[in-house]
Amino acid sequence: MTPVHFSFTSTFILGLMGLAFHRTHLLSALLCLEGMMLSLFIALSLWTLQLEATAYSAAPMLLLAFSACEASVGLALLVATARTHGTDHLQSLNLLQC
Amino acid sequence: MNPYVLTIFLLSLGLGTTLTFASSHWLLAWMGLEINTLAIIPLMAQQHHPRAVEATTKYFLTQATAAAVILFATTLNAWSTGEWAIHQMSSPATITIIMLALSLKLGLAPTHFWLPEVLQGLNLTTGLILSTWQKLAPFALLLQISPALNSHLLITIGLLSTFVGGWGGLNQTQLRKILAYSSIAHLGWMVMIVKFAPSLTLLSLLIYILMTTTAFLTFKTLSSTTMNILATSWTKTPVITALAALALLSLGGLPPLTGFMPKWLILQELVKQQLPLLATLAALSALLSLYFYLRLCYAMALTSSPNTLTALLPWRLTQNTNPLLLSATSMFSLMLLPLTPTIMTLLTY
Amino acid sequence: MAYFVSLFLLGLVLGLVAVASNPAPYFAALGLVVAAGAGCGVLVGHGGSFLSLVLFLIYLGGMLVVFAYSAALAAEPFPEAWGDRSVLGYVLVYVLGLLVIASWFWGGWYEGGWVVVDEFKELVILRGDTNGVAMMYSSGGGLLVLCAWVLLLTLFVVLELTRGLSRGALRAV
Repeated sequence: MTPVHFSFTSTFILGLMGLAFHRTHLLSALLCLEGMMLSLFIALSLWTLQLEATAYSAAPMLLLAFSACEASVGLALLVATARTHGTDHLQSLNLLQC
Repeated sequence: MNPYVLTIFLLSLGLGTTLTFASSHWLLAWMGLEINTLAIIPLMAQQHHPRAVEATTKYFLTQATAAAVILFATTLNAWSTGEWAIHQMSSPATITIIMLALSLKLGLAPTHFWLPEVLQGLNLTTGLILSTWQKLAPFALLLQISPALNSHLLITIGLLSTFVGGWGGLNQTQLRKILAYSSIAHLGWMVMIVKFAPSLTLLSLLIYILMTTTAFLTFKTLSSTTMNILATSWTKTPVITALAALALLSLGGLPPLTGFMPKWLILQELVKQQLPLLATLAALSALLSLYFYLRLCYAMALTSSPNTLTALLPWRLTQNTNPLLLSATSMFSLMLLPLTPTIMTLLTY
Repeated sequence: MAYFVSLFLLGLVLGLVAVASNPAPYFAALGLVVAAGAGCGVLVGHGGSFLSLVLFLIYLGGMLVVFAYSAALAAEPFPEAWGDRSVLGYVLVYVLGLLVIASWFWGGWYEGGWVVVDEFKELVILRGDTNGVAMMYSSGGGLLVLCAWVLLLTLFVVLELTRGLSRGALRAV
């Protein structure tokens, strides 16, 4: 395991743990998702660069486009939630519990 | 919603699943899953009701996380083996992570908590799409990676799902939550057998989709979302009510109906694989699910609720919905059991 | 250069610690900026200057403006920074966990594995990643069309989600 490998793995796992364990704001959860996507972008780019697989350089770009779509949909959901629930606290999303 | 925009969303929903089916490369499969998630989100939040928006938010968070974890595991796999093809996964750690992420996507037992809440927030048509069409793409990936998976993991997830699906639905009165727990239990049966006989997984996925379509379309026709509305449904459409009771028993897996077929074949295969204890536990967990299906039948067809009306049929407008799909799927979900050998021949690959 | 790249790697991980430890969204966005900047540095150190430029432009130019706007939407009177007690606890837990795992792997970090720095092996006019991204326009045409379709789809999704209907409490946003 090289340090590069270690750092992007730990970055992704940190983002996942932050998303899974403790969030108060929906926006913080979306930021954690963005952090996970950032570490995936770096992992894919470093993979192409270290293997000098030039044809794969487009893969991080596609990933970035898709993660931008995901982030924008998440922010649109943030706006929709703020309209219907009045706040973006994840604790207030409790209408559907049984 | 504007019909043109609705067309774009529905086409993209099809595009996402088709991309995942067609791809042999993990990146393209991930793109298909993402398109699928993005396309169903506006359909879910169609009414902008607080419950619908909340369900959409929860669905988005879980699906985006699961897709990111799948891509992360495949990137790890590419770093260690340089391989991106789906059916050539060899590293056991990455394939376990992918299996857990797929079970988050499907709503299998340790990660099932989002499914009942999300389904409760949707209307019945979108709920039908969510519990049938959205399961196809993750199952395509699961079937492709299944030869390399650890069978202990699959059996644990499957058995846990059948038990949680049976247990969770016991105390529910909301039909959509009951259907969500029934979905968890059925998916548990499919995952349990995927390592031993993938054709049986396909068979029970097909039958599950038929039966769930019948249930959702029936409830949509009766426009009922809770049990006490079902109790008065015999005054509205007596024939559909009687058939719906049988369809629910078919979901529970009683013998002369279609739902018995996958359970029977799966139990037979498990016994053939020298796993009689697992087969016994799975059959016992089906009893838990059968309890709430029976309770629904009891409320629908076996009792008549006390009311002061003397008229048997209420005044109503004639329905102008097309009953073709409902009648076809209810026929299939009641009477396919004699065709078992034919279907198995079609699905064996 | 090797020291710079290892500093950037450290910055990347610490930036994500700052995001994951649940501060107020203002500060979490700041942590994401730090992580993205450090990630650009790592990519430059490995010779991927074009990818690094794209990441820099998209993250710091495009996305974080939107995130800052949304952080203003979700503003609260007393935002929690990393000094507050709960957040500091999470930061310490994460950093300690990272140190433990890093020390576990410490022996396996062989010398040459520290950094693979691009040393201008031969004189080239276009770098490899620039060529590779340009291949998206020729051999990767199908993927390009797919990406364009998804961006269009996202536009419709966002418009449909944020369409103002009669329900809801807040009309200002």
